[in-house]
Amino acid sequence: MSEHTGTGASPGYVCPYCRLSSDASSPACPNCGAPIDVRELRDDEGWAEQPPIRDMAHIQAGRSRCQITGTYVPVAEVNLAPGDQVYFSHHVLLWADPTTQLAARPMKKSWDRHKAGMPLVMMEATGPGRIAFSEDDPGELIAVPLEAGQGIDIAEHHFLVATAAVSYDWISSGIWWTTGGGEVIYPGGKYMDRFSAQQRGLLLLHARGNTFIRDLRDGERIYVVPHALVYKDLSVHMNIHMERPASPRAHWMVITMIRLTGPGRVAIQSQYEPKSEAHWGWDKLGPDGSWRNWNPDPSRWRRGPKEAEPLYP
Amino acid sequence: MEGIVCSWCHYANEPDRVSCGTCGAPLDVADVVSASGWRAAPRLQEMTEFRVGNITCQIAGQVVPVAEFTLADGDTIFFEQHTLLWKERTVSLTGKNLRAAGQRTVAGMPHAVIEARGPGRIAVTRDASGEAVVLPLHPGIETDVRGHAFLAASQNVAYDFIRIDKLASMLHGGPGMYLDRFVAGDTQGLLLLHGYGNVFQRRLGGGEKILVEPGGFLYKDSPVAINPVPVQAGAGFRNANWAELTGPGRVGIQSMYVHRHII
Repeated sequence: MSEHTGTGASPGYVCPYCRLSSDASSPACPNCGAPIDVRELRDDEGWAEQPPIRDMAHIQAGRSRCQITGTYVPVAEVNLAPGDQVYFSHHVLLWADPTTQLAARPMKKSWDRHKAGMPLVMMEATGPGRIAFSEDDPGELIAVPLEAGQGIDIAEHHFLVATAAVSYDWISSGIWWTTGGGEVIYPGGKYMDRFSAQQRGLLLLHARGNTFIRDLRDGERIYVVPHALVYKDLSVHMNIHMERPASPRAHWMVITMIRLTGPGRVAIQSQYEPKSEAHWGWDKLGPDGSWRNWNPDPSRWRRGPKEAEPLYP
Repeated sequence: MEGIVCSWCHYANEPDRVSCGTCGAPLDVADVVSASGWRAAPRLQEMTEFRVGNITCQIAGQVVPVAEFTLADGDTIFFEQHTLLWKERTVSLTGKNLRAAGQRTVAGMPHAVIEARGPGRIAVTRDASGEAVVLPLHPGIETDVRGHAFLAASQNVAYDFIRIDKLASMLHGGPGMYLDRFVAGDTQGLLLLHGYGNVFQRRLGGGEKILVEPGGFLYKDSPVAINPVPVQAGAGFRNANWAELTGPGRVGIQSMYVHRHII
């Protein structure tokens, strides 16, 4: 895994959460706010719990400074230096100083975004002034500092705010399947947000519940339920995966998951809306989709249109 | 030996207390104030007990806090009907007479308010994660609160509502057209609010302004003016209205709120 040099770079401490180097003299990483003086909690499977940013912790973002307040539904207060700019979805704005200039941010393909259920109205705030953001669910804020040339894919509805040095685009998630009736279902959302940094910038995300990260080795696979995914590195491949449980009472049920293939980092949240799909089968799966039927004798159960040939991942 | 003055409600406590006797704020922790001047509402310790008049209140739970009241014979508190969690048999319940009940109903304000009379115990809670905020009201203090945020108040607190000027506030503003107004009588009263998520308070100077997302607004002192201010959200969309609050006085906000979508 690459290591970068971040704010206050005397490379004595590499933050395991943002992967940047910093001076270990402060109680929290100046780049992402993660506490330094806590023991890393990692389970046997390799998932590490992202420690919540402590109340009142500061994060430096160029000339501007961000402070995280609150514990249940944390607030990100940004003190914008003159000329510095952040952008955000309009619904996360909590309060602003009157000196902060607010303006709409032009967005392309508004109709596509609206149909996909993505935030439609984005806004920009320009300093000098203070402005604060919060989401509407209990959870954690995740600070993702991006170095020049770095990028990251975010599942929809997690983006909180980004500095102007980070560009924003969205890509097709590729996570879809069609029912026998032709209905297209996007279990994890039709699009993902893609953020790329031209120069060093800061991205703030919100995750519901607790957040866990895992660094996948090259070729290593993990299956997660669609709405648990928060973000992934650009190097992590993402495909749809379906499973049919081995149970006489659940043979009609398909469980939709996302297959993530390393190398790279993935992050999940512990609170999400679980969904099971009560369909007999599917007609098409998204690109490189896979499925598995756990019934010992699949011929006993009615098969879906495309389930004649088992496709084990 | 000098007493400890609570920095939240300014009550002078005995030196040996670890939490304020009238608002429950911990006395042995430093104030949590952000660089912008927002102060986190005191995080009440589990099972903290405080007393206003003859009424004793205990806060239980951290994620969705419960306020348990011990009422002496004849003591009364009032609350919205659906916040009642449990009560003892000896506590009697009566509907509270409210002014302009029809207007309140149309405006979406609480119109089924219940008075509970002691002796006995009774508990109230709202069904969302957040914080219980204790606002001891000194005599003559007027506090305006967004609709459906108050958890309970003591009998000596007068309960009314005020209208926010300008129709736009009803059409666009999160708090709606009216705010609950609580006024303490001749003696100190107790007002208990529920804030969704975390609650922060800031004291504005005279003429000082702050823009707050209407859904984030929780309470203010009555001298603080609240006006809807349009902010252009984007070409082709109607303006979003935010609440412009002008001092002097206290302003309280909550970090989790129901947002009114622009389109």
